[in-house]
Amino acid sequence: MNAPTRRRDTLGIACGAAAAAVMAAFVLLAVFLLGEARSVANPAFLLDAPSRAADRAGVGPALAGTLWLAMLTAALALPIGIGTAIYLEEYASRNRLAALVGSALAGLTGVPSVVYGVAGLALFVRGLGMGPSILAGGCTLAVLALPTVIVTSRVAIRAVPEEMRLAAYSLGATRWQVVRGEVLPAAAPGIVAGSCHALTRTIGEAAPLLVLGAAAFMTFAPHGPGDPLTSLPTRIFAWTTRSEQDFAALAAGAGIALLLVLLLVNLAALAVRRRMRGGAR
Amino acid sequence: MTVAGLSGAGSRALGDRLAGPALLACTVVAVGTLVAVVGVLGVETGRFLTQVSPVRFVTEVDWLPVAEEPRFGVLPLLAATAQIAVGAAVFGVPFGLMTAIYLEHYAGARAERVLTAATALLAGVPTVVYGYFALNFVTPAIRGRWPGTEAFNALSACLTVGLMILPTVVVLSRSALKSVPPALMEAGLALGAGRGRVVARVLVPAASGGIVAAVFLAMARAVGETMIVTLAAGNQAQLTWSPLEGLRTLTAFIAQSSLGDAPTGTLQYGAFFAVSAVLLVVCWGLQASGRFLASRGRGATAR
Repeated sequence: MNAPTRRRDTLGIACGAAAAAVMAAFVLLAVFLLGEARSVANPAFLLDAPSRAADRAGVGPALAGTLWLAMLTAALALPIGIGTAIYLEEYASRNRLAALVGSALAGLTGVPSVVYGVAGLALFVRGLGMGPSILAGGCTLAVLALPTVIVTSRVAIRAVPEEMRLAAYSLGATRWQVVRGEVLPAAAPGIVAGSCHALTRTIGEAAPLLVLGAAAFMTFAPHGPGDPLTSLPTRIFAWTTRSEQDFAALAAGAGIALLLVLLLVNLAALAVRRRMRGGAR
Repeated sequence: MTVAGLSGAGSRALGDRLAGPALLACTVVAVGTLVAVVGVLGVETGRFLTQVSPVRFVTEVDWLPVAEEPRFGVLPLLAATAQIAVGAAVFGVPFGLMTAIYLEHYAGARAERVLTAATALLAGVPTVVYGYFALNFVTPAIRGRWPGTEAFNALSACLTVGLMILPTVVVLSRSALKSVPPALMEAGLALGAGRGRVVARVLVPAASGGIVAAVFLAMARAVGETMIVTLAAGNQAQLTWSPLEGLRTLTAFIAQSSLGDAPTGTLQYGAFFAVSAVLLVVCWGLQASGRFLASRGRGATAR
């Protein structure tokens, strides 16, 4: 790293300039968003309902919808996804079928989110008769998050050294005791990080919810999974398509509210990881 | 946990009896759901293609799904998607690759920390927020420079999608550069070549497999990107080469015209599934070619 010929050549200058441009784009995006959202920077904006009058509009119902969706997605995708990862890594025999499932899952992580929306429309909204509800949205987002949760959890489990398993088995531990007592504690930080990544990706999705038929205009906050589907990302979309300047400010404000939600999820995951590291000792 | 945690015979038996079946049930639910997703796309696409001939679907050049005499030629949508993906790569890949080279071989500790954080934050921004940025910042900037530009245009979408895929390019090509043995750098420097020369002539070619894979993966993300193109590129399904005109991608068609109210069984409803299937094929094709080229690249450097 610290060779004498540091930073002082044409390539270094060109690459430094490119990096500076990336940094500038990031700062531009941040400053533009904050600047646009200036006029809605008050606590009432987070609680009020959207309104035809831009100066009285808020993101209350959309925020509640996004929190519901996040909880449903986490409650569905994390146990099933992590359970599947444990099964595939620790229980399933390594045959052709397992390899096929593995590569199919890897392929599914790259499927565009809007495609999951189309499938969710057929399966949950129409097929199971859920209608365009929070529940249908949560199920669709959970399916979208599932491949990522499984793939990242499998990587974390696979990284646990084989010696730990062998040592526990040699002491007479059963398979589940090895998994519970040795593998999961060691893999937990990686599983939490992967789950957090999958969850934050999904919470920010607008496209699949639009396809399901997210309500364009909700004046009351959803109280449960059966209520009509609304969310911050679709709210941002609806306000962005309005041409009036006032609504652009609302969209920017809703964007910042969404980023705050994502930040909170990340901080929560960080806290969980820190506690685990403390508890492992 | 150590040996102490391995005692307790009663809970041991119960835990072991329940764990296997429970985990298997999770796997069955997960795999079953994902099979249902792909299955429903296949079934509905099949039904659509019995009503619209597959040949006309891939050869006609008019996409008019709600016209009195609907036409379903997917080419304009496919061409628009290709244009956005290639355009985004033209902007995103050089900046992303050069940033990765800078991070790996030139940046000081502080610059590296700041840049890594900035790219991580860019990766975390939801695409609908990028769409907002495209429509309210990038488009006005372009129209200030070229006043004839349409309000919805491909250039704004290309630039913003390029920014969106940038973190993918940076992270993946940086890890490709990291996997090159440091001995190559030392050998190059020992032969008297400058750092820039060694990086450009030895290290980047050695990492080329991973870099190509990064580019393909980033392009697959650009193909699947929906909100930026829906907000910034417009809804005219047309074959055009001009970046200053509007166009409509595969994803934008789904997002703009569905909104959940097309009745089940109609041609328009079937079109969502057929377009989704095309998207799936394109994305999987890009992923597979990326993996193939990456494996070939790695083989070449090993020799």
